[in-house]
Amino acid sequence: MKQYFNKRYILPGRMLMIILGIVIVIGVANSAFMVDSNADNKEFKQGKGNDSIASVKAFEDVYEVLKSPRCMNCHPAGDVPLQGDDSHLHTMLPKRGKDGHGLYAMKCGNCHQPENTPGLHTPPGNPKWALPPSDMKMVFEGKKPRELALQIMDYNRNGHKNKAKLLEHARDTLVKAGWNMGEGRNPPPLTFKEFVAAWDTWIEKGGYAPK
Amino acid sequence: MENVDNKYSRRAFLKSSTLAGGGLLLSFTCLSGFSSSGKGVDAGTASEWIEINGYIKITPDNIIKILNPNPEFGQNVMTSLPMIVAEELDADWQKVVVEMGPHDSIKLGPQFTGGSNSMRMYWKPLREAGAAARQMLKEAAAQAWSVPVEEITTKAGMLHHEKSGKSGTYGQFSSKAATIPVPKGMKLKDVKSFSVVGNSKKNVEGAKIVSGKPLFGLDYKYEGMLIAMIEHPPAFGMKLKDFDASETLKMPGIKDVFRQKLYEDGFEQAAFDTRTFNDLLVVVGKTTWEVMQARKKLKVTWEPAGETKNTMGGKKEVIVPGELECTARQLEKFKEYAAKPAQQLRKDGDPETAFKNAAQVIERVYTAPFLAHNCMEPMNFFAHVMEDKALVAGPLQVPGFSEPTLAKLINLPADKIEIQMTRMGGGFGLRAYGHYIYEAALISKKLKAPVKLVYTREDDMTYGIYRPMYTTTYRAALDANKNLIALHVKGGGIPEHAVHANRFPAGTIDNYLAEGWRIPSNITIGAFRAPGSNFAASAEQMFLDELAEIMGKDPIDFRLELLKRGKETPVGKNNDYDADRYAGVLKLVKEKSGWNKAGSEKYSRGVAAYFCHNSYVAHVVDMVKRNGQPYVERVFSAADCGVVINPDAAANMVEGAVVDGIGNALYGGLTMNNGEVQQKNFSQYRIIRSNEAPQKIEVNFVQNDIDPTGLGEPPFPPVFGAVASALYKLTGKRLYNYPLINQLNSPDNA
Amino acid sequence: MITLNINKKTYNIDVDPNTPLLWVLRDHINLVGTKYGCGVAQCGACTVHLNGEAVRSCVTKVSRAVGQKVVTIEGLSENNDHPLQKAWLEKDVAQCGYCQAGQIMSAAALLRENKSPTDQDIDNAMSGNICRCGTYLRIKSAILLAAEMQKKEGRKA
Repeated sequence: MKQYFNKRYILPGRMLMIILGIVIVIGVANSAFMVDSNADNKEFKQGKGNDSIASVKAFEDVYEVLKSPRCMNCHPAGDVPLQGDDSHLHTMLPKRGKDGHGLYAMKCGNCHQPENTPGLHTPPGNPKWALPPSDMKMVFEGKKPRELALQIMDYNRNGHKNKAKLLEHARDTLVKAGWNMGEGRNPPPLTFKEFVAAWDTWIEKGGYAPK
Repeated sequence: MENVDNKYSRRAFLKSSTLAGGGLLLSFTCLSGFSSSGKGVDAGTASEWIEINGYIKITPDNIIKILNPNPEFGQNVMTSLPMIVAEELDADWQKVVVEMGPHDSIKLGPQFTGGSNSMRMYWKPLREAGAAARQMLKEAAAQAWSVPVEEITTKAGMLHHEKSGKSGTYGQFSSKAATIPVPKGMKLKDVKSFSVVGNSKKNVEGAKIVSGKPLFGLDYKYEGMLIAMIEHPPAFGMKLKDFDASETLKMPGIKDVFRQKLYEDGFEQAAFDTRTFNDLLVVVGKTTWEVMQARKKLKVTWEPAGETKNTMGGKKEVIVPGELECTARQLEKFKEYAAKPAQQLRKDGDPETAFKNAAQVIERVYTAPFLAHNCMEPMNFFAHVMEDKALVAGPLQVPGFSEPTLAKLINLPADKIEIQMTRMGGGFGLRAYGHYIYEAALISKKLKAPVKLVYTREDDMTYGIYRPMYTTTYRAALDANKNLIALHVKGGGIPEHAVHANRFPAGTIDNYLAEGWRIPSNITIGAFRAPGSNFAASAEQMFLDELAEIMGKDPIDFRLELLKRGKETPVGKNNDYDADRYAGVLKLVKEKSGWNKAGSEKYSRGVAAYFCHNSYVAHVVDMVKRNGQPYVERVFSAADCGVVINPDAAANMVEGAVVDGIGNALYGGLTMNNGEVQQKNFSQYRIIRSNEAPQKIEVNFVQNDIDPTGLGEPPFPPVFGAVASALYKLTGKRLYNYPLINQLNSPDNA
Repeated sequence: MITLNINKKTYNIDVDPNTPLLWVLRDHINLVGTKYGCGVAQCGACTVHLNGEAVRSCVTKVSRAVGQKVVTIEGLSENNDHPLQKAWLEKDVAQCGYCQAGQIMSAAALLRENKSPTDQDIDNAMSGNICRCGTYLRIKSAILLAAEMQKKEGRKA
């Protein structure tokens, strides 16, 4: 039986090495030279200014911002937002709700005002303060760079944003609110201007996902 | 259309009495015209109310008012103490009006909310007051009807004489009754014949609570009242050096900024006159928000206070160290001090030899952090100190503690000071300490104006008077057959230990040693729901649980075995518990929880029991893992507090203590960095929330006719051990440091 | 001068528009049923309804309430007979009572949107309201009872 399997179903060592090599090459090409890394967004395929290396490099900066508490805290893996520079569960456990604005007596806007409340440990504010809605959760928490980039570029997972909408999104007031974090909170690692520049570069150059 | 400005209506604070049945009877007191000599008399309506004795007033149209003597902070005394009077008076509870009494220790007794003492203290006096009033009313009717007093009966506020067919209301005879000498040696009712006591009555202030009526100190209003706040040093061990208030004084609504000393040097402080910060920086303005904003503009320089001295009663001087303390260093000190010789508190047999000869010695060290009381209503007090008299009003547990010091500080005789006690938004022990009353009064005296002192939440949480930080080392000696032959408990704390040397399991083990030590500190501490007991029980019950496991015994059976020994052949003297009653709650909780019976397999179960403040309580805690976190889903409780006055309210007390205990066991704690408290609001100090409370708490009472004892504290301490033991069952790890969640999630515990 | 509509009454108040609604209610209008607990939207004691939403008045500037409808515990019902108020008395919920007005206002927002709340719904609605006395179990049972009453009475919460 053992022999049988060896001969018929298990590839000889040399053959295996060759196939493996091909798979690795495809994998590298996949990440560095597009193929399908931005494939879900047809607009980006074979764009004129595409430059996967510059794009991926820009995304590295973008990723540092997205995984910072200022962005990630409202893009949690669960239905409860995170809080603070240590991204702990929001102390009174408000839930996302269908539209992302909370539930019942625990709506985001019940505490989060149109502007920051002065003082330490007070609710930061923005007129649009909310989580992504329950049918489009746009989770950042726990996502590796490649996963997150692919998610953002995926029209069906990014809140149905085309290229123009994506470019516009970096300028959204709620995104910008990440830099107006209120007293006692650390800002994202890039300035807002640097972030927008990196975001634009990433997308303009093809929206590639790193490997 | 109503135009509102900052002038408060002249009627000042609404003082209302509550009809026990839920109705509302309003009376207004014009506070500006109060008379301090008229203590105990309701100024506005005195002509109607006929005072039978200090606790009972009756109108001619038969409304019966019962004064609650003891301050109410959620323990239900406002309802349950008047129930005792109504019982012996034979009043119709539905027609009884309840009112908070004034501070008047001559007419209304000790007025002490603390130590779970209300029931114990007032059971007999209130029964006697009710019975005496009933007798006086009977005498009055007997005289009016010219019949023998023995032939008169009472029922539901009515007097009857069967033979003549005469009957009348208490109100009809109240003025005559008031002239009859107070009888002595009254025969009280048989407990078994009670009709009010032992039957659940709703909170007499319930309707006011759910409709937002002014009840609490922070709700107190007075014409021309200013708001004051205190800027206190940012850390223990610091003091005010200098300040610049120029920007503050420019802020809208601000009246004054000044320095105020609490106690002058050498002032003899009474036991509850805790001094945390003595040199106060006071900001006074028109409204709360304006003062809060103006405080932010203060430019203050603080400096190390260095070593200071407190002068206590009898000129006893106490040195307060100047160190700016850190939690990590405090924990190191615990280890250093635990290794040093300590004060011996009790010794039975020959523990040294027993440990030397032991086949196995088990040693465990437990620690617990400072806890803040975090009453939902932050500290506050109203004061209006005038030339020749003063009115102070607000939330406080023991007016009698504060009055003598207050009188000295504002230089007025005590009988010229009226203390009004509002409902308290929690107390937990903190409101037994009078500093905020003195501060308010001194500020009012200086300003010559009515003032309400308000602490913000941050002020409240960082101002000291915490549950001490504790540690205890337990050692047990087992012989070769795993019999417990010796026990050694050595506890310490900052600044005091929590060893109760004569409590269980003392008296049940031949060789026993209890020792205690203390580390002085400038962090002030005070009573916190079952002081000392709350940690003593935690450590002791956790140790007994682990010991039972090592000895191969069921944790309840092990305790019952010890109690059997303690009952039959007690070791030593002064054992501070009744072994039968202690065993009683364990047996009851065992039965009610179905301990070791089928049906609870999904739960990790922990049990603990404790006796303190004169009542016995045991809990079984059923824990599960929910969303990866430990969650107490069910609790079974058994309590023995003698006669249960108001059963549903008593159950509420136990439920609340269980929730509070779970919260503090898992999450509670304050830490320090260079003397600065690291938790300043609920964002950092985790309080148990709705979703973390159990789904079910089943409260069972031992039924007996023993004189009632309290319930505010006794159910709290045993929660900790039961939670810790359940958590061990859930995770397979014994934890020894509170708060348990911190230790569970700590990287050291991985 | 700021004009507010509170409990169906109109008030004109001379106050800094940045003042939190809580302190306008308590210090200027003398509606003290709304409580101060933390000042940073952590405890829920200050919960009032702003156009029906259970806002934390300690962090809500009074300017946000201009032209809107504010309801406090004092105005929740005409005769203190909201099903929640009745259920709170029936279950004898309160211990110290300080947080209960805020609890009831939060619960009222829940019952308005969900006529038959489950235990999970109640947790989702109520975990922003701290009760230091630990009356959470009774709060929960009172909400369930109020939902029943509401159905029987056919009343709009």
